[in-house]
Amino acid sequence: MLERSVDRRRGGHRSRPNVVKAHLDAIATAAKRLLEPPITLPYPDYMEARPPGYRGVILFHYEKCIGCSLCAQICPARAIKMYRVPGDKRLRPGYNVGRCIFCGLCVDICPVDALSESLVHDKVYEDVPSMDMDPVDWALWSRRVMDEERSPEKPLLRARLDPERGIVYEEAQPASSGGEG
Amino acid sequence: MALVQLPGMVGRELGSSEGLRVVELNIGAQHPASGHMRLIVYLDGDVIVRVDPDIGYVHRTVEKLAEGREYVRIISLVERMTIIDACNVTLPYVEAVERLLGVEPPPRARYLRTILCEVNRIASHLYGLGIGGIFLNHSTMYMWAFGDREVFIHLASLLTGSRLTHTYPVFGGVRRDLPQVFREEFEKAKRYMLRRLREYDKVFFNNPVIRGRLEGVGVMTAKQAVALGATGPNLRASGVRYDARMTGYAAYGELDFEPVVGSEGDALERVWVRLREIEASLELIDRALRGLPEGPFMAEKFTKTVPPAVRHWLGKGRLKLPGSYVRLKTRPGEVLGRGEMGRGEITYYLVSDGGMKPYRLRIVTPSARNVVLFDALARGHTLMDLPAIYGSIDYFPPEADR
Repeated sequence: MLERSVDRRRGGHRSRPNVVKAHLDAIATAAKRLLEPPITLPYPDYMEARPPGYRGVILFHYEKCIGCSLCAQICPARAIKMYRVPGDKRLRPGYNVGRCIFCGLCVDICPVDALSESLVHDKVYEDVPSMDMDPVDWALWSRRVMDEERSPEKPLLRARLDPERGIVYEEAQPASSGGEG
Repeated sequence: MALVQLPGMVGRELGSSEGLRVVELNIGAQHPASGHMRLIVYLDGDVIVRVDPDIGYVHRTVEKLAEGREYVRIISLVERMTIIDACNVTLPYVEAVERLLGVEPPPRARYLRTILCEVNRIASHLYGLGIGGIFLNHSTMYMWAFGDREVFIHLASLLTGSRLTHTYPVFGGVRRDLPQVFREEFEKAKRYMLRRLREYDKVFFNNPVIRGRLEGVGVMTAKQAVALGATGPNLRASGVRYDARMTGYAAYGELDFEPVVGSEGDALERVWVRLREIEASLELIDRALRGLPEGPFMAEKFTKTVPPAVRHWLGKGRLKLPGSYVRLKTRPGEVLGRGEMGRGEITYYLVSDGGMKPYRLRIVTPSARNVVLFDALARGHTLMDLPAIYGSIDYFPPEADR
């Protein structure tokens, strides 16, 4: 029905390697890699130590908040909503970590540093409602996350580049995101 | 209509043509490899008569959602079309809005945008090469490309604080200044990647098995490529010297950008263009880092209204936004934003009625333009050539479906 039209032109810039040599080259190049250690992070036995400035879960410092609601307005995922807290005249932000996309725009727009980014990203929640936190829950949870940053449950490995091996992971000390600052 | 059993597949017999049976075959019920889609292939014996790409599985109404959001909140929305190429996909939108706002980003911001765009392009090409490799059952290339992509994701996370969805360019500048460690880490990444590209040549590009599968398959002439509206490396592999970066957006105009152009137009040539573009991108980042101008990374129009309590962050290389940034109002008008992504040219057509939200945001992505190539290139080839053609087009459904 339709003829297969195959044009076997030989490209000017394309070399035509010797078939036997090219096979051997390919096998040798791949085999050389056998001797090198794996490049993967042994997750979850080890956790990755995030680089400074990493955008993890958002931390809330209640005492600094002025209730301006800019964070809730800029949030592209509507993960931050303003709540009425009993005994507090102003509205305060609550956080749904399940909706959060970790863009950090709320931290950028907060005029008083009441929000900060943590270095923690991988967290497990028992159920969906526990991901949706009101302002008080969020502030208490933030303290727990900061404790976790300082003393992580699992040993940390930090990614570093190596001109010979690409990405390598080496033992690292826990660092703080400076959340309180 | 009889069902035809093929090894591992079910086809539907459509009748006969010139004495041969024509069979309809579903390739990938939902997810053949690079994303959610399906190819309905009509076969005459082993020869492809027609390919109908069934797209739209990951349509998320990005254009409509954009109409209900403030300008700054759209940045992370459009980013989700192609999270693996996040800076390239958002930059034309940001530049389009900047033109409506009348804001000029400082030179340092333009260079930093270029650096992240090229880091993204390398990561995107490695992703495409890896997927292309596994299409041909070359799992070494798949593993290597994805492992080496991690190097560039690491570079991006040093610069932006995020691995994939960086939300890095914002109106008037960028969100982070270049960290101290970046230059040193990039130097290592460049040396490593250049060495690895030579290994890729040996294990993949010059491998006789790969040559046999890709050479002379899915040939697209320059004239055909222009007529079909192909874009990106697929277009340049056919010998057309065209790249949206030649328009000189961001800092490309000052970096003596020269596109990589192939000649043959076959599947192997498309792989070649991607491999050489990785080299070219490394060179571009190197040039941008050397020529990186000093100065602020955000336009003064916005930084001067940042509250004094948080101004100290700007000196530490972190952006702080003024409160008015959420409700930016543009002048009424229509602008066109163009940029070159890893897979080709992306176009934004933004209509503003002077409000806080766009009246209309039309997006044409490179994969949406390249989807026609499935039918045009595969006709006349055998079924076993289809994975080679698919892999070489580097089609990414979430980007095409928007």
